[in-house]
Amino acid sequence: MLNYGDLDWKLIGAALALSLIGVVLIMSAQHYETATYQQTFYQRQLIWLVIALAVFAVVAHLPLRGFDLSAYLLYGGAVVMLVLVLLIGSTRMGAMRWFSFGPINLAPSDIAKIALVLALSRFMAYTKLPVSSKRRLGLSTLLMLIPVMLILKQPDLGTSLVFFVILFVLWFWSGLSPWYMLLIISPLFSLIAASQTVAWIVYLIVLLIFLSWLRPGMMFGVLTVVANLAFGIIMPFLWGRMAEYQKLRILTFVDPSLDPRGAGYQIIQSKIAIGSGGFLGKGLTAGSQTRLEFLPERHTDFIFSVLGEEFGLIGGAIVLILFGFIFYRAIRIAAKCRSRFASHVVMGAAGILFFQFFVNIGMTLGFMPVTGLALPFLSYGGTSLVLCWTLVGFMVLADYHWQEY
Amino acid sequence: MERYYLSLERREKLGLALLLVAMLLLFLGLVKLQVFDHAKLAAQSESNRIRVVPIVPSRGVVLDREGRVIIDSRPSYSVSVIPAEEVAEVTVSRLAELIGVDTLQIRKRIRKNTVSRYQPAIVKRDISFEVVAVLEEQSARYPGIAYQVERVRKYTDQLAAESFTGYVGEVSENELKRKDGANLRLGSMIGKKGLEKHYDHLLRGVEGTEYIEVAASGQIIGRYEGRDLVPPVPGADLKLSIDIDIQQACVNALDTFCCGAIVAMDPRNGEVLAMTSFPGYDANIFSSVIPPDLWEEIRSDSTHPLLNRPLDGQYPPASTVKFVAVGAALEEKLIGRNTTLKPCYGAFQFGVRSFRCWNPAGHGKIDAAEALEVSCDVFLYQLGLKLDVDLLSKYYGLCGFGRATGVDLPGESPGLNPNSEYYDTRYGKNKWTRGLVLNTSIGQGEVLATPLQLAQFFCGLANDGMVYRPHFVRSVIGPDGVERATSPAVAFKLPFSPSTMEILWEGLRRVVEGEHGTARSLKNDLYTIGGKTGTAQNPHGENHSWFVGVAPLERPEIVVCVIVENAGHGSDVAAPLVGQVIKRYMNKKLGRQELVIDKSVGEI
Repeated sequence: MLNYGDLDWKLIGAALALSLIGVVLIMSAQHYETATYQQTFYQRQLIWLVIALAVFAVVAHLPLRGFDLSAYLLYGGAVVMLVLVLLIGSTRMGAMRWFSFGPINLAPSDIAKIALVLALSRFMAYTKLPVSSKRRLGLSTLLMLIPVMLILKQPDLGTSLVFFVILFVLWFWSGLSPWYMLLIISPLFSLIAASQTVAWIVYLIVLLIFLSWLRPGMMFGVLTVVANLAFGIIMPFLWGRMAEYQKLRILTFVDPSLDPRGAGYQIIQSKIAIGSGGFLGKGLTAGSQTRLEFLPERHTDFIFSVLGEEFGLIGGAIVLILFGFIFYRAIRIAAKCRSRFASHVVMGAAGILFFQFFVNIGMTLGFMPVTGLALPFLSYGGTSLVLCWTLVGFMVLADYHWQEY
Repeated sequence: MERYYLSLERREKLGLALLLVAMLLLFLGLVKLQVFDHAKLAAQSESNRIRVVPIVPSRGVVLDREGRVIIDSRPSYSVSVIPAEEVAEVTVSRLAELIGVDTLQIRKRIRKNTVSRYQPAIVKRDISFEVVAVLEEQSARYPGIAYQVERVRKYTDQLAAESFTGYVGEVSENELKRKDGANLRLGSMIGKKGLEKHYDHLLRGVEGTEYIEVAASGQIIGRYEGRDLVPPVPGADLKLSIDIDIQQACVNALDTFCCGAIVAMDPRNGEVLAMTSFPGYDANIFSSVIPPDLWEEIRSDSTHPLLNRPLDGQYPPASTVKFVAVGAALEEKLIGRNTTLKPCYGAFQFGVRSFRCWNPAGHGKIDAAEALEVSCDVFLYQLGLKLDVDLLSKYYGLCGFGRATGVDLPGESPGLNPNSEYYDTRYGKNKWTRGLVLNTSIGQGEVLATPLQLAQFFCGLANDGMVYRPHFVRSVIGPDGVERATSPAVAFKLPFSPSTMEILWEGLRRVVEGEHGTARSLKNDLYTIGGKTGTAQNPHGENHSWFVGVAPLERPEIVVCVIVENAGHGSDVAAPLVGQVIKRYMNKKLGRQELVIDKSVGEI
């Protein structure tokens, strides 16, 4: 069927290396747990890896056109699942995010990410509308907003950000100028600047100068200014409607000491763990921060801190290089693919992985907020691993069929 | 449209460039933490995992002179709340129900004793076994509540010894701020009164330290191997001069009276053999947390159980100090051995006022020794006038009055020895007359003394004028097991020459042995006793009854000072009590069986 020799084995190898490093780190992180079931987390992750590889193999064997045709169908199914999880999903930590099938918890938001990538790629690859047309931008935004609205109802801020990122990456990849994108997201800057009146006024002046240079058209310009003003004005209102933990996360992002026992505490402990690792690290299972439970979520969100503590700068650099290699390959594949659809899917997939990778590691290093986004390949979690490998499957598939239109 | 579109080639380049920037950013973040901040963060990680846990040493035991236990420690349970595990609306209210302390009080205690959110804050000490059993069996019902075994002070019952043992209590914030507060922590037990306070530094020992590894959740992982445990140094044991037998005799003697004090001392070295204050309190109640209502009851009691009468009770010494004026007059050659002043007809006329003698019948013509024997006031009035205010005051001072004895206990009062300077301040210059000296010569008026001072003075009389500083601790047994004796210290010498002492001694002897002695009821065939009665006028009620006894006269070994408040004449009330205590001492010394069978029946 496939000529296996032509598969991108380097890409697969990098992803597999990361996955195995994850298993080792999970084992180390849970090594001293008192509850024996927690000590077996790495075994479960290993089983999940096998499942994820199987899913990857299936994806790699599928015909490229199959995705093309079923993109909207899959998208519709994902939206239905998101609605269902709101109605019958199990609640955990104050949020409804999972379907429980016995021991397996399925997060429909992970499926929705894939569905959105496929649907947006399908839309952008075949639409005849010019890149900056309002209909094109509006329709693609609508495609993204439907799942996001459902996820925000759960509520999950970090995951919904991933959907925005998918949209932006695909806008960029379909040729939309970054300047233009800057204009589109400008109301968000307005939102942030509005926390201080002086900053907001300065920002609005800069925006007007920018508009007069870019000249995006009368209607677009007016819309942008109105949106900026509106966002700046509703900010205090929006702030009041946020959940307490979301407010706290945003505030502690600016100043971790605000919540030294909560989110700020996690960041402080994570920095101590990574920093104390030094150049070579403390060695496998020898990380005191990890072993003594100072690190929260050490087998999931803060797995990179375990890596930093136990394997030091060397270990951290190796993981960064492996990730960097995957993203580099993804961009190269997306650039050479003759199929516009496949090219978009690869970039969307890379966008998901990159955003989670960057925000997660940034969080453990202390310059990104605690969003609850897992580190691809390494963090403990079955569906996350399956998702990552599905995305790798798209990349490998697109690479193998790069000459197809 | 050009401006809004990016070619594929430029997109790829821009994408790769952005990727490179992002990777560099993360790598630099890693380098900053792991290379530049490494030393600082490594140190933080080290201190993160190790918690220094103090090991409380066992507090020293206090023994009597024969090694019998006066203060010991016993194991007890204390109940604490771990603030981090507290469940609102549940933990405190259920605990309140269980231990019978109201919720407000519990919250106050948690706030006061919280060191860290993960360390138990003691709420109540010395809880019953029933409570422990409930906590053990129904731990799920009591979230965030823990109990610990600790050692609690145990004061031997029926000794009424709190006037010198004192008690321990939880360290206060002020005590923590003090210089030696470094050794103390919130919740530490510290001596609050008496020997417990004075010798706290010896009794407490030195805290040890244990290094344990803990999780961020506060959960203990185990001992930290990197640093060795520093064992605690147990507190030293104290061996007192107190004799429990004599102490019990004192308690029995005062048993039927409301208020009073007894001090028994060895005149040869200043050792305190027994001391008690009535009414007392149970020092054990301070070992656990004292309930506020009980504390209020003790505090507001009109008989003042918290007043440490032997040390802090200041009374007019009355006739017991007539030796001072007599001695001073002899020493100043104002009278001689056989001088008889104006005869006593039951009263003495000074100016327009008539000063009465205690005996309205009068004592007639008497000399110094006889004046002491019959305790004639009129003889003393005349001596007072001869000496005048300041000379008498000087002799009082030389006999130890008006200043603390320096006993090894905290909270001692100096008493009061008034002189003309004092009267000037109190009444104003020239606003008082030397008639005041009539009162002070018989130990009344402004003169105030503590029972301990009086006992010390009589020790001087009994020991050829050599006065030792009263003390309780005979030896200290260090944690190394080595016993170090304390040496008695001479406080001062009475200002009387041997010939004067001889006359005073004669008076002292005749109070019991003399035909007209005020305490001749104490006379017996087995041993000789001397002493002096006193009846302190009390403007607030019945007179206070004093007696200070010395025995045996051939070579005095014990001085017993008794005051019974509002009880009447010294000869009627206090003297027999002194007799009881001396009898116990002499019987013990002579190896005789105590003849007391049942106190309610009386002595046979």
